[in-house]
Amino acid sequence: MAELGIDLPTFVAQLVSFLILMGALIFLGYHPIRKMLDERAERIKEGMAQAEASREEYVRVRMVVEEEISRAREEAQAIIAEAAQMGGKLKDEAKQEARKEAQAIIDRARKEMDQERAMSIDDLRKEFVETAVIIAGKVINETLDREKHRKLIEKALEESISFKRN
Amino acid sequence: MADKRKEKKKKRYCGCALSAMVILAVVFLALVVISFIGGNMGALILGTEPVSILAVHQPRPELPAEMPFSGLPITNTMITAWIGIVVMIVLFAVGARKMKLIPAGVQNLVETIYEVAANFIEDAAGKEYGRKFFAVCTTIFLFVLANAWINLIPGIESIKMNGVPLFRNANTDVNVPLMLAMVSFCYVEFWGFKAKGFKYITKFFNFGPLFQGLRQLFKGRLKIGLSGMAMGLIAIFVGILELLSEFIRIISFTFRLFGNMTAGSMLTLVIIFLIPWVVPVIFYGLEAFLGFIQAMIFGALTLCFLTMAVKEAEEESA
Repeated sequence: MAELGIDLPTFVAQLVSFLILMGALIFLGYHPIRKMLDERAERIKEGMAQAEASREEYVRVRMVVEEEISRAREEAQAIIAEAAQMGGKLKDEAKQEARKEAQAIIDRARKEMDQERAMSIDDLRKEFVETAVIIAGKVINETLDREKHRKLIEKALEESISFKRN
Repeated sequence: MADKRKEKKKKRYCGCALSAMVILAVVFLALVVISFIGGNMGALILGTEPVSILAVHQPRPELPAEMPFSGLPITNTMITAWIGIVVMIVLFAVGARKMKLIPAGVQNLVETIYEVAANFIEDAAGKEYGRKFFAVCTTIFLFVLANAWINLIPGIESIKMNGVPLFRNANTDVNVPLMLAMVSFCYVEFWGFKAKGFKYITKFFNFGPLFQGLRQLFKGRLKIGLSGMAMGLIAIFVGILELLSEFIRIISFTFRLFGNMTAGSMLTLVIIFLIPWVVPVIFYGLEAFLGFIQAMIFGALTLCFLTMAVKEAEEESA
């Protein structure tokens, strides 16, 4: 034993040194490091949980947004369809109105034209009658009175008109 | 251009130009040859005196630790162990002083050491016991490693006081491996008793089967009684073997570390004596590896015996 160098004081001294090292390492090293690692693990766990929750929230919100977008799109489509329908209707109405107005204008114009024509014919007839009376009077030296003569011409004119119409 | 660059790259090895590598190799080889011929090895072969610059004193290793200070009962292994202890404490104190959530510098190093050790221990012993065994197993590992590696500082053993080396690998002092073996033994037994209670002692003194056999014998069941007694004797013998193996473990722990470290240390000294230049570097590398392996073995075996003591109790309770 002595040749190997085993001796109690050295053994005890080394034991004390080892225990001091262990105590110091536990107090100064192992505990703070363990604490930090646990804290870090906890933080990572929390972070992961938060990330997972955020992801789930994102998925949920995205679904809601997609639903909203889809609904809005459907509403927009409906509005567009309704607007198109209404536009068509208005267009048809406007067309109808315009057609009616045009017809009315045409009718009015036609009526005015007829009136003008009738008036012109009337005036022409009167003038013709006058002229005929004057000429006839001059020719026959007033053998017929003026009123009889007129009636006679008017009758002849009537007959000629009805003859033309037929 | 690219081809030329490739060619240039091809000619570089380990970040050095090929020519520089060749020059280095030649220089190292020349140094080896010079130190071989001019050193003690050449002198022994050629029967001449070694060149003064290469004349290393013949190593005279002493097994017991020496006391460099006359009158003071402080051995050189104690001084080395204290330096190792101070280095370890300072390293961990600095690394764990103002710990940040994102580690940097020394904190990174100590956290890496801690995590590697913790994972290793928890893998073997489980999370619950792993944390309890961590301090002892890791401290044993670090203590052995620090002692082994401090000795690798070039020239540390040549510093002398009163003709005695001031520093010496503490693992080469048999008191240190013995102390560590005793710590390991006591801790294993402590946990054996803690996990199993007083029943733990029946592992070594198992008289139960013998008494059962005797009881059967007294009841007149001769055959069952005799076989029970035989089983009882075998159980007692196994218990004695278990007890012996527990104590032999102290011896095996002690002399494994002591023998390996002493042999490694002596080998390095002898190589330095024979071929003082370049070649010892290889042995320094081997010594560093050996120190790590021995530290690992000591810590891992302690962990293994602790786990066995605890797991047996767990299995029985299950």
